[in-house]
Amino acid sequence: MSDLETQKRPSVFERKDVKQTAFFWVIFTAIIGYVSATIQTRSMGAAASDTMSTTIHMINVFTWVVSPVAGLIAAMAATTLVSKMHFGDAPPDEADHQIRNSPRATSSWLIISSLLCLFAVVWGTIVLQRDNAAILDSAAMNINVTGQQWVWNFDYVDNGTVRSADLYLPVNKPVVFHVTSKDVIHSFWIVQMGIKIDANPGYITETSVTPSKIGIYDIRCAELCGLYHAFMQTKVHVVSQADYAAWIKSQGGRA
Amino acid sequence: MNKRLLAPLGTVILGAAVIAGIGSYVASAKNDSRVLIATPAGTVNTPQGNLPHYTLDMSTYPDSMAGSHGNNGGPHPDWVTYGSYTNFQVPAHALITITIKQYDSGSRITNDFFASVHGTVDGMATINGKDVTKVDPLAVGHTFTLHGLADAKSQLFVSVPLPSVPDSLMPSSGYTKTPTTITFSFITGDAGKYVWNCEYPCGDGTVARFGGPMSTQGYMSGNFTVVNA
Repeated sequence: MSDLETQKRPSVFERKDVKQTAFFWVIFTAIIGYVSATIQTRSMGAAASDTMSTTIHMINVFTWVVSPVAGLIAAMAATTLVSKMHFGDAPPDEADHQIRNSPRATSSWLIISSLLCLFAVVWGTIVLQRDNAAILDSAAMNINVTGQQWVWNFDYVDNGTVRSADLYLPVNKPVVFHVTSKDVIHSFWIVQMGIKIDANPGYITETSVTPSKIGIYDIRCAELCGLYHAFMQTKVHVVSQADYAAWIKSQGGRA
Repeated sequence: MNKRLLAPLGTVILGAAVIAGIGSYVASAKNDSRVLIATPAGTVNTPQGNLPHYTLDMSTYPDSMAGSHGNNGGPHPDWVTYGSYTNFQVPAHALITITIKQYDSGSRITNDFFASVHGTVDGMATINGKDVTKVDPLAVGHTFTLHGLADAKSQLFVSVPLPSVPDSLMPSSGYTKTPTTITFSFITGDAGKYVWNCEYPCGDGTVARFGGPMSTQGYMSGNFTVVNA
């Protein structure tokens, strides 16, 4: 038996490349988690409903939960680039460290990925279910939304025959949208309220939200729908109940 | 530089250049690059005070033998079209009066919302000399619907229905001698890029009759640019 074989191998955690990878892992996890969460939530705008607040919170948490996975991949890549580069045709002996046919590695990767996906699915389902509760709320107001290349229009069916191209909503009042299209498939998206649903010709889809903050927010089409899809945008004006009643009255409706 | 890096770097740069070139070409491609600049018409008293006044004239035709497509009607002589321009430029914070001569027939509009007048001064339009707020949704020829990006400081949305010419007045060839004349005015806000299009399904048989001329710039749609005077 040779001296090399009798020499006790160091613990895996004492190896230089593992220590290096662990160091990079911590750094990259922090960077990826912070940057991803910040960019995503900032690009989503200020929340104008509980739905959006919950969505932003969920995305924040999920981003931080999955960032160690991305961080580990980046760390292994960084370690390889920093200390494992090799030029030439014959790889050095120490290069034979790849994980191959390892049930432990495969199952760990699958189980962790599955748990992360399951976490997002379960939480997302709970949030969606809770946010759509207003559809069954008899006190909720109803608005018919019609998409057509390339504008939206809104019918305030609880207030007479009022129609508009900008959407007006009272704050803190649940509202149910009944959405359809006159031509192709569109998607009704109130950006800062976190709701989005397809508008299909000949079919009515429903979604609901409770605006929580007075202000002017964006409505966009989220389904590529033709030449001026990019211009299929309008505004939603969230106003006080009194201002909403006054606006309805000014449009000839009943408050 | 290391030769090992040159090949992948060159490939990436070349790929990016090809994609950028295709994108630039598509973005700049227009069927009709001509722009009609609004004609000054003095100043006028409006609900928002004394404002400069500008006018635009346009027409709608049942085919492409008039308008901007040439004497032979261009690639689609049977397509309905606006003319003689489809791209317009107007000043910001001004009263714009548009006069449209409507030469086409029509029928029921699919969405009654567009049978009403929206976004004009007092919510009115003048049709053959008569002030109206809406028209019969069963007899609409086309609409002029102007809208823009929601990030503009003041959203501009104007939609005016153009009643159809009765079938009895539509000749078997050529254009009617009695087009419908529609006039309306609106006040522009801040400078910005807008688009306009027709909301009556007057296209070919595709996309619920919103295809063909309805989905091609230079026929039933175009650009509408508001610029600082």
